[in-house]
Amino acid sequence: MNDFLLTVFSAAFLATVIRTSTPLLLATLGGLISDLSGALNVALDGIMLIGCLTAVIVSHYAPWYVGVLAGVGAGAAVGLIMAFFHLRMKADIIIVGFAIGALATGGTVFALSIATGGDKGTSINLPSGSVPAIDLSFLGGIPGIGPILVALFSGHSLLSWVAAFLVFAIWYFLYRTPWGLWLRAVGEYPAAPEAAGIPVNTVRFWSLIVSGALAGLGGAQLAMFNFIGFTANMTAGRGFIALGAVLLGARHPVGVMFAALLFGAFDGLTNVLPGHYPWIPPELIRMIPFAVTILALLLFSYRAQRALALRGVKA
Amino acid sequence: MTTEATPTTPAPAAIAAATSAGNMKPPTRWSIVGREVGRALVALVIAMIATLLIVFFVSKAPVDALVTLVTAPFSKTRTIGLWVDDVAKLTMTGLAFSLVFQARQFALGVQGQLYVGAIAATYVALSPIGQTWAGLPLGILAAMAAGAIYGFLPGIAKARLGANEIVSTLMLNYIAVELCNFLVRVSLVAPGSGLLTTAKFPKTSLYPVLVANTRIDLGLIFAIVSVLTVWFALYRTSWGLKLRLVGHNARFAEYAGIKANFIMVSAMTVAGALGGLLGSMFVQGQAFGQLTVLFEGGFAFEGVLIAIVARNRPLAVPIVAMFYAYLRQGAQLMNIRSDVPAEVISVVAAIIIVLVASQFGLPSWLKRNVLGNRAGAAR
Repeated sequence: MNDFLLTVFSAAFLATVIRTSTPLLLATLGGLISDLSGALNVALDGIMLIGCLTAVIVSHYAPWYVGVLAGVGAGAAVGLIMAFFHLRMKADIIIVGFAIGALATGGTVFALSIATGGDKGTSINLPSGSVPAIDLSFLGGIPGIGPILVALFSGHSLLSWVAAFLVFAIWYFLYRTPWGLWLRAVGEYPAAPEAAGIPVNTVRFWSLIVSGALAGLGGAQLAMFNFIGFTANMTAGRGFIALGAVLLGARHPVGVMFAALLFGAFDGLTNVLPGHYPWIPPELIRMIPFAVTILALLLFSYRAQRALALRGVKA
Repeated sequence: MTTEATPTTPAPAAIAAATSAGNMKPPTRWSIVGREVGRALVALVIAMIATLLIVFFVSKAPVDALVTLVTAPFSKTRTIGLWVDDVAKLTMTGLAFSLVFQARQFALGVQGQLYVGAIAATYVALSPIGQTWAGLPLGILAAMAAGAIYGFLPGIAKARLGANEIVSTLMLNYIAVELCNFLVRVSLVAPGSGLLTTAKFPKTSLYPVLVANTRIDLGLIFAIVSVLTVWFALYRTSWGLKLRLVGHNARFAEYAGIKANFIMVSAMTVAGALGGLLGSMFVQGQAFGQLTVLFEGGFAFEGVLIAIVARNRPLAVPIVAMFYAYLRQGAQLMNIRSDVPAEVISVVAAIIIVLVASQFGLPSWLKRNVLGNRAGAAR
């Protein structure tokens, strides 16, 4: 038990948590943007998957950053398609999102099979690039706290830093710029911004595109850092867990960051537990993130309902 | 919409709209059916054109592949049997989704219900009861009960706490899959077999075959009975009327004195029982006759497509299932006999779903130039 706790509270485990949280955080931020604009993006998982495959295939032929950008671009393109069908063709956003999910699970296997010449499982014979880790070992020169700083901050994916920056950038955008106010207004009560002359549909269009781009970036991190290469259905529900994280984070950028870190921590536990407690069945360990998501969802719903009751609003 | 704002120069289309609206009779039931069928067929045609393009793009022998896709399912008795079996199962999952969608709940839990139903049926079939005549009915009942409980849980969480049913049902799906993996590996695995699968069920616990040497079994009867039952419940009982009212406008239903939450939870529970029955149809049916890990492979979600295309109408569900099962079987055979992966079907499915869900008509330029203003305005 003791050395299990030592592991969990070690700097190495923190590094694991940041690694497992990053794709989740990026997808969660994507979910946050579309959720605040009034559209529940159930396609996050599918978009991540498409982002994974695009990043892997492109980075086979081009440098890693082109692969990452391609993943982002693919995600944005899917977001654009969703926006088109939702806003122009008046299709229900959940149904469109579901269709994207179906397209992604089958379509990525299809495309993988075409790209690798028949392999439907992995991209193992399609060596792909990876996102570089940022080496900050020079911090070790600082007397006293140097080694701790290195252990905490060195060796993370470049995209982890990008994700941390995006939390701040999205917070600034949402709460300190007029466009952020537009976006929140559109999600809250579309008739009001409409009356104020704000282009409601344009705001929604861009929200879905940005949401897709962020999920695509999460996919790129997943397939080019957490794992190197693509395996069928490699997101394993992360996009849906992200939906739960948006709710648990109280729909605020900083809140969702902590929610994503929490889910990332449980994801990290699934890596650590088998080494310490080999008698716990792996299936039960794999259930942990999903069970935690349900618990978090129940907790959030309970809190939200109580808040409404306190304000005297009937749900 | 903007006719009042521009009284000086009314657009010709607006006049046409006003006159045609004046002359328009209320749409009859059959004209609505015709319009929906038309939309579904247009979506199917567009999806088939997309398939054609994809196959020509990826295949070295595209014509052979396409011929296989279109003709192979009806080529042998065995393949027809596969098709009928697929129709029965697709109908069940489509029905389960239709029921919750009619109550306007996007509960996506059929997959989880299917797994827990299959697990429950397996425990009955492999117990001493499974050796007796009671194995078949008790297995089915156990499966339905397990599925109903699994449908009830997200329903009550939504009713009591307002917990989003999409997220909760999806999470329960993952948990059920892992539960099945765990139970099969630890307590149900057949001794001596290296595979993650249980022993074959005793004959007494299996669905009787309807047509010899095919997979057509009792499940087909269950599918037909379920369609009729769900139709009757939705359109001929007060529960169904309330359910449809809640689906249309939950607030209005509340004002009318309907307990919307009770209706919602009961719809999700009944749909769960259907999902559990589907689980029994899988493991107790002729196709498997045993429980294997990951036996379902995402099948349950095909029901979403069926329900959306059938517009959640129980009587339309089996018809849509027939078409879609044909495509699925054709794609499987194409996968075996040509160089086109079966996953091409998911592209077709996605196109059909978004097109059917979209409010599309003919493009406006086509209406203006070819059909004249009247048709364009009467949309």
